[in-house]
Amino acid sequence: MSFSKKGWGKTKVRNRSALENTAGQLYTIEGIAAGLIMIMTAYLVVSATSVYTAGDTHISDMQLEQLGTDALKVMDAPASRGQNSLLQDIIEKTPVGTSNATFGLVFSDLTNSHTTAVKDHIQYTASYSYRNLTDPTNAVSSAFLHSSRNLSAGEHAVRVTKWVIVNKKLPPSSPLADRAVLVEVLMWRD
Amino acid sequence: MARLNDDAQWIILMGFLISFSFFFLAIIINQSTVVGQTTAESVIEFPKNDIRDLTGIITYNTSRSNSTEVVRDIPVIALSRKNAIVRYTVILPQSPQDTHSYALIHYNNGVTEYDENWTSL
Repeated sequence: MSFSKKGWGKTKVRNRSALENTAGQLYTIEGIAAGLIMIMTAYLVVSATSVYTAGDTHISDMQLEQLGTDALKVMDAPASRGQNSLLQDIIEKTPVGTSNATFGLVFSDLTNSHTTAVKDHIQYTASYSYRNLTDPTNAVSSAFLHSSRNLSAGEHAVRVTKWVIVNKKLPPSSPLADRAVLVEVLMWRD
Repeated sequence: MARLNDDAQWIILMGFLISFSFFFLAIIINQSTVVGQTTAESVIEFPKNDIRDLTGIITYNTSRSNSTEVVRDIPVIALSRKNAIVRYTVILPQSPQDTHSYALIHYNNGVTEYDENWTSL
């Protein structure tokens, strides 16, 4: 830059294009934009093969599992120290493999209740597993407890479990003893 | 090449910037549908309730009958139904010197390994 000796007024204003080569600036911007558009298109095409929906996130599974675990925990809490819990009573007093309506009533009520009269529609099928003393290999057997609906293999169920100690003949031909059984409940939303 | 009209280049540049920022905002909004996925999956994977339930029943059994059948039941059922290796040893109170029960509990489901040295009140 050079200044005229006759004052600022006559200074020649030189713009940027006089100093640098500004040819093709818009073409450069357009090229960058076109490049970005191509990269984004490629990204969208590749990511289109894996579309995640809310069902894939397992959030409802996690909530259902926690709800079921809590319900079983409530059912296994004795009214006072030293007493049997409801769940222990249900298993001890129900013949192995027969349905128990009390379990159905309480579990349904605990899992399907809302603060309003409107009920949720969680379905379940419950059983418990025990070590078969009469089996030579001590295999684990399952005994049905109760179900609100039959499984049709189309459910997206979660499994919740609860250890319970019962004083019961398991299987019925074995001696009476304190035994550990695992209550298993499959839960799904209908 | 023809002489370019290089007026308003800043306006065009800003236009591009704003367009692209909208694009990235759209990606962020798109991602909001899967918020909580990682949280939910890690909650499901971590067997917190299983371990608490297991230690609960083992310690409950020490104050009950401490049936030897229960000691045999738990590892067999845990392996068969929960895919977890569970071993535990209970030491009952050696009264009158010691009034406490002890339990050494080991749990391993292949992902989470847990050991507890429990002492009763």
